[in-house]
Amino acid sequence: MGRENFHRILDDTQQNVLRMGSLVEEAITRAVDALSQSDVAAADDILRGDDYIDDLNVLIETNCLNLLALQQPMASDLRTIAAMLDIIIDLERIGDHACDIAQITKNLANEPPLKPLIDIPLMAKKAREMLRESLDAFSHHDASIAHLVPQKDDEVDNLYRSVFAELIQFMAHDAKAIGRASNLILVALYLERIADHATNICERVVYMVEGVPRKLKRSVIEFNEVLARSDQILQSSAGLPDPATSGH
Amino acid sequence: MRSLLLTGAMVGIAACAYSLARFGQPWEVLVLAAAVGLAVATAFALARQRPGPSDAPDSPRPYRETRDGTLEQVLTALPVGIVIVGHDGRITSFNDAAGQIFGVSPQRAKGRTLIESVRSMEMDRRLSATLRSAVGETIEFSYAGAARRRLRLTTQALADDGGGRQALAIIADLTSIRELESLRRDFVSNVSHELRTPLTSIKLMVETLAAGVEPPARDEFLQSIGRETDRMIALVRDLLDLARLESGKAVLQKSAVDIGELCREAAATSRNRAQAMSIDLECSTPETRLVIPADQEKLRQVIVNLLDNALRHTPAGGRVRLDAHATSAVVEISVQDTGTGIPSTALPHIFERFYVVDPARARSGSGTGLGLAIVKHIVEAHGGSIRVHSELGAGTTFVCTLPREGGGDIASDATAHAR
Repeated sequence: MGRENFHRILDDTQQNVLRMGSLVEEAITRAVDALSQSDVAAADDILRGDDYIDDLNVLIETNCLNLLALQQPMASDLRTIAAMLDIIIDLERIGDHACDIAQITKNLANEPPLKPLIDIPLMAKKAREMLRESLDAFSHHDASIAHLVPQKDDEVDNLYRSVFAELIQFMAHDAKAIGRASNLILVALYLERIADHATNICERVVYMVEGVPRKLKRSVIEFNEVLARSDQILQSSAGLPDPATSGH
Repeated sequence: MRSLLLTGAMVGIAACAYSLARFGQPWEVLVLAAAVGLAVATAFALARQRPGPSDAPDSPRPYRETRDGTLEQVLTALPVGIVIVGHDGRITSFNDAAGQIFGVSPQRAKGRTLIESVRSMEMDRRLSATLRSAVGETIEFSYAGAARRRLRLTTQALADDGGGRQALAIIADLTSIRELESLRRDFVSNVSHELRTPLTSIKLMVETLAAGVEPPARDEFLQSIGRETDRMIALVRDLLDLARLESGKAVLQKSAVDIGELCREAAATSRNRAQAMSIDLECSTPETRLVIPADQEKLRQVIVNLLDNALRHTPAGGRVRLDAHATSAVVEISVQDTGTGIPSTALPHIFERFYVVDPARARSGSGTGLGLAIVKHIVEAHGGSIRVHSELGAGTTFVCTLPREGGGDIASDATAHAR
């Protein structure tokens, strides 16, 4: 395999990483749309589409390993291949989270809606923005974008805390809401994880471009703090208005 | 159709026509025709080029400069997205409209592959297929960029300068059209539902009465039929009011209206209902007369609708307060409740027809879903404005601001003030 051929395959593989990213972005958007609209057909479609994401994952991994084994790449080429091997793991997990949300859509399809979904679509939008920008950073080999993206993780985490507290309030008020509310808490958790995966991708891009492994600053959800807040809500729930009656 | 110029002299004309049936819009045909015409023109012009004085290295007007400058200007001016991908999969042309649709600057997109710049798997797949097979197609798809959009993509194969193949993509943003269609469907569906529900009840009760029902059940049935009929009349009246206000055909019958007195009358009308709901209804108006030129009945409708909305969303034991006061330029009417509040994300939508914050509770209230939309139109027709402040768990305040003067002449047309 000549160097020209090596660079052609390397370039094709990078394009495939972006194709995989595009499919995953689409899957997140459609999964949250399906959840908001209780659209079981769309949820089934997302579950079927995950096979294609997995196929791309295998193809990219195989190409990367072949390049490593046959070409002994060095310097930035080596870092690019190493970065791609990590990025596709994050993309594959994000795709799995989109499927998890689609499965929850199917689980909740026959249940009455607990509340209008407002913060969850907002979380999805922000997590997807982070993913999109992390892939922009990869596409343009731009470490400056990669350094900025993790700063948005705070917003996603704050939304997660807010959704969590609100849903605990629903559960405290009505035991029949526990099933639906706990499913929605899982959706929020998946979206928070998606934002974390986007931060992982940014770390890989920084390594790829700058050649120095770096842990980017990210916010951490202290679950003890969240659980303590939940306890407070549970203890004072008797005095709270029924959350289901909110809104005009 | 396009003329071919070599060093300023016309050497031929390239033209392209395409079947209108393949495309939804005439401009798509024009765009395609222009692009294909230019491509053919290029090939033709290159074929016609022969060694001569005009091909000397110091030639003042080479063909390519003239052609490229024109093409770029045409592409930039087009209101639809145009993307041309070369045989190597890299973008050679990307106009401003495409940049707006995909949130990518043309400078950043050119020279890159489609998946690098636009990152739409669907577009990448379709344009790759067109490059391979030379067969164009038209599809509609969702694009999840910075904002979710509904796009129509038309692809077509083009010949490039070197005899290779390019792929042309024409992208139309259908997002707003699809949203309007969705609103229209929702509106028809909502109206149908609101009319069918009371009609079904009335039909059942009439059938039961026809089978023979003794008093007192008969009287209860007749009262229910009366209530359901009133509900339908209210809905139809609101729909007609809204249609007239939206079309600008509603004529305001203006006279000198004392806002304080109007508020006191509206509060008195709603007080019995508030008492039945264990809600404290307060009314605070200045002792001096607050007279503005306005349509008395329409303003009464504004206040009644706002009070009705507040009462429906305030729990027992709560408070609703109607207040009117004036500055030198405006009169403000506010309705404040201690209800459950409105989420901030829902606030921009509450004046839309049939909008409900919580669809699960949409049928539990007795409103038609048109009250706030009517309020907004009436206030704006008077040259005023309405704003809302809400806090979840604390309550909501609607404030109507109406001009004291300059609201127009008495008995003027609503449209004049709505603008």
